Amino acid sequence: MATRRVWVWTELTDGAPQRPALELLTAARGLGEAAAVLLAPAGDEAIAALGAHGAAVVYHGDDAIYTQYAVEPQVAALAALIEAEAPDLLLFPSTFTARDVLARLAGRLGAGVIANATSVRFEGDRLLATVPYTGAYVATVTLEGPAPYLVQVRPKAYPVEPVGGQAEVRPVATALDPAACRVQVVETVPQVAEGPNLEEAEVIVAGGRGLGKAENFRLLEELARQLGGAVGASRAVVDAGWVPYSYQIGQTGKTVKPNLYIACGISGAIQHLAGMKGSKHVIAINQDPDAAIFEIADLGVVGDVLTIVPKLTERLAGR
Amino acid sequence: MKIVVLVKQVPDPNAVRFDPRAGDIQSGTPQVANEYDLHAMEAAIQIKEQQGDVEIVAVSLGQARETLNRCLAMGADRAIVVEDAALASGDSAVTAKALAAVLRAEGFDLILVGQETSDGGTGSVGPALAALLDVPVVSNVVALEKQDGRLTVQREIEDGRQVIDLAPPAILCALSGLNEPRYPSLKGIMAARRKPTEAKSAADLGLADDAAQSRVSWGQLFVEEETAEGIILKDVDADSAVDQLVAFLQERKLV
Repeated sequence: MATRRVWVWTELTDGAPQRPALELLTAARGLGEAAAVLLAPAGDEAIAALGAHGAAVVYHGDDAIYTQYAVEPQVAALAALIEAEAPDLLLFPSTFTARDVLARLAGRLGAGVIANATSVRFEGDRLLATVPYTGAYVATVTLEGPAPYLVQVRPKAYPVEPVGGQAEVRPVATALDPAACRVQVVETVPQVAEGPNLEEAEVIVAGGRGLGKAENFRLLEELARQLGGAVGASRAVVDAGWVPYSYQIGQTGKTVKPNLYIACGISGAIQHLAGMKGSKHVIAINQDPDAAIFEIADLGVVGDVLTIVPKLTERLAGR
Repeated sequence: MKIVVLVKQVPDPNAVRFDPRAGDIQSGTPQVANEYDLHAMEAAIQIKEQQGDVEIVAVSLGQARETLNRCLAMGADRAIVVEDAALASGDSAVTAKALAAVLRAEGFDLILVGQETSDGGTGSVGPALAALLDVPVVSNVVALEKQDGRLTVQREIEDGRQVIDLAPPAILCALSGLNEPRYPSLKGIMAARRKPTEAKSAADLGLADDAAQSRVSWGQLFVEEETAEGIILKDVDADSAVDQLVAFLQERKLV
């Protein structure tokens, strides 16, 4: 059987490949010959970094057309490239742009898709992926039919492994006239970076609707400070406007894997669990004994979060 | 102007429980309207309120009578439900194909849909449908204005917001920041009884058997790692709970 050709769709931040792309190169190397697809203006360092993490080839579309929410130009170029090169599998990270590009590409190609995978393997010509469903549950999802398969992988499902190596660069022609782009970004308003870097925190104290009101997040900040950790939140309270979106942990927010995760007043909806299930130790404090968060907690306390959290902070401070 | 709003009825995300023996969610889990879809519905009604001459059609795939009734009571003019077991695979590609068939037959100026469903949660139906219908799509929509035939849309990105300009026909995928969905009024509920809901099958839509062919199959749900059972403290006072929390943190060397 010929070596499988696995492509990793890559995004840059400040000129460097994003971490999830490097994680996916590890997955791709395990499945066959890894290549990266980079549709964005990029310098030599970015290409070198992809090579050093195992990409034998970098398909590079060096065109400013791709810089801003360019789903249609991306899909046009990818569709042409896939037709010419016939890869077996494309891996996408779980960013918003990746999701939109993958889904539009899938619609255009009629390709088989799996989202939210935490592991990917082949069994014969079929592709098997592990996909979390809720709480402590996962399912094996099987994809079959003609290649290519398109799979979106959760962050931190694979490690970043620098293996050394150099990528051969193959230019990708731009397939869409800029005038044909129907979606025009008029303005980008950056959000002032608020709050901690959740993705790198070793300890996270996260709050949900059970806190009652926005002001009570202060209690979590005090506990987090005591533990040297960061504060996160569930979607419900971000939607309610208690804390900014940068705090959100879950399927549509950040994926975290801290050493310690303390869930305060969080019920444990599917989307939230998808973003924090990988935490090493989970403590849950919630009034509702039936809350799904208890299913994955190492230690759960059924009780009033507004009483227990300040007492815990006080005890830790007086240690 | 015709606005089509795509809605789905899902297991209540706050009530979902699993039946480990069946390897599936417990039967009898209550069904609710997918939350983001109600924000899409509200956006359509607001456009209609602003500019008058708008028809709103609510479309759903799969069992969704209650959800469609709610949309009609909120202000949709009519509803279409595609109830066909052959299309109920849960493969988002099949979903997109079936919805595309409805939309081609129906015609539209604007399609509004929730960003993702709380059950599948792939967020892929909007963009996949956009490819099939060859229209532009904007995801993560948190603000929407329609003026002089163009749409100005704000979308949430990882580190801020983008302001986007586009012209209909288009697909917009709504996040909850877009608006506050109204509760149906009594008058709306009464009016909904006289509004038509049309049922369609795969055959009605002219979908060939292979269009409904799912390429994705889900295995049974299982527990990935057999971790030691967690300890859940019930009926303890706050002080002894704190004692045990501190003991846990010390034992695991977390403080």
